[in-house]
Amino acid sequence: MLNPHTDTAQTLYEGDQSKLYSGIMAHHDPAGLQGDASRKQVSRIWKITALLAVVTILEVALGLYGHYQGLNVGIRNFFFILMTLVKAFYIVKVFMHLGDEFKNFVTLVLMPLIFFVWFIIAFLADGSFWLHMNKTDPTRFGSHPSSQTTPANSPKPEPTQSPAFR
Amino acid sequence: MMWFFLLSDAFTFGAFLISYGTKRYFSTVWPDPNHVFHSFPFFPADAQLPLLFVSLMTFILILSSVTMVLAVHAGHYNDRKGVIKWLLWTVIGGIAFLGCQAWEWTHLGMANGGLMGAFEDPNTPVSHLQHFFAPGVNLAAQPAEALQATNNFFNFFFGITGFHGFHVLTGVCFLVVILINAVNGTYERRGHYEMVEKVGLYWHFVDLVWVFVFTCFYLL
Repeated sequence: MLNPHTDTAQTLYEGDQSKLYSGIMAHHDPAGLQGDASRKQVSRIWKITALLAVVTILEVALGLYGHYQGLNVGIRNFFFILMTLVKAFYIVKVFMHLGDEFKNFVTLVLMPLIFFVWFIIAFLADGSFWLHMNKTDPTRFGSHPSSQTTPANSPKPEPTQSPAFR
Repeated sequence: MMWFFLLSDAFTFGAFLISYGTKRYFSTVWPDPNHVFHSFPFFPADAQLPLLFVSLMTFILILSSVTMVLAVHAGHYNDRKGVIKWLLWTVIGGIAFLGCQAWEWTHLGMANGGLMGAFEDPNTPVSHLQHFFAPGVNLAAQPAEALQATNNFFNFFFGITGFHGFHVLTGVCFLVVILINAVNGTYERRGHYEMVEKVGLYWHFVDLVWVFVFTCFYLL
């Protein structure tokens, strides 16, 4: 009989690189689902579930606290992003089984995500720079929505802060 | 290949969320999610219950992700009954999430004069937008910014949650397909449940994206 995990072209190629296609993740424990290995894995899944639930509850609690009691937005956002990354880490590692994969495969999948670091910094800086220009550069007042009612050639009020980029 | 598709999809969602952030940094005022999303089904329309409904949606999606991983686990042991049971729960979770999103969208639209309502109409008086913002924000001094920020906020909100919801919808379709195959014994004859594992990856990714959408739109 054909072994689906070893005898197809796809498996011969991809099975070398990812456990997902190699069948290594499939267990052949004779004790089956009631065996120790299986029970251990299931209890791990429920532990991660509890962790995700607790982190989500913390996020909501922090959001409500900030809403009703007031909280420094920077500190609040730092914890929101931290908790989001914690949740993402455990979903990818345990639920998506990336933690059980070959090291090279993990690197291959995660490396391109480094681009996000640059994207986020570059685009957010771009957004705030545009806002800064619209607020301070006289040549740009005309394109800013708040001054659409102002005639283009009328004198502009001096910006309260002197623009640093000039 | 599923991992590389998900990687490309991550960049698509990432681009959407980062452009949302860019527009937000670009704006002097921005709607406050605690004031935009404050409703809950069967409560009065003016009830102030920020974060409550979206937490429910988040829990539904996380739980459906858990039932999915349990289905994959059962598949590793070639346990057809377990796969069917957990897949069924996952499908129910996915449909429940879509139902919640449908309610949130229509409620948001109906409360603001239709889905292309007050937040899309350039002639909306700025006083009608005030309830989207935190109480201290003076919109009257900057009506054009207020309108533009509201437009941007809702365009991104409907665009990104819509794109995510479409992923959930296709995920539910995939789940139904592998559920039918599992019921028919296709994977049992094949000797392995690899297909369940692959669709599971997609489903977890949808949950993963929601974790970020939840943070960007409802928390930050």
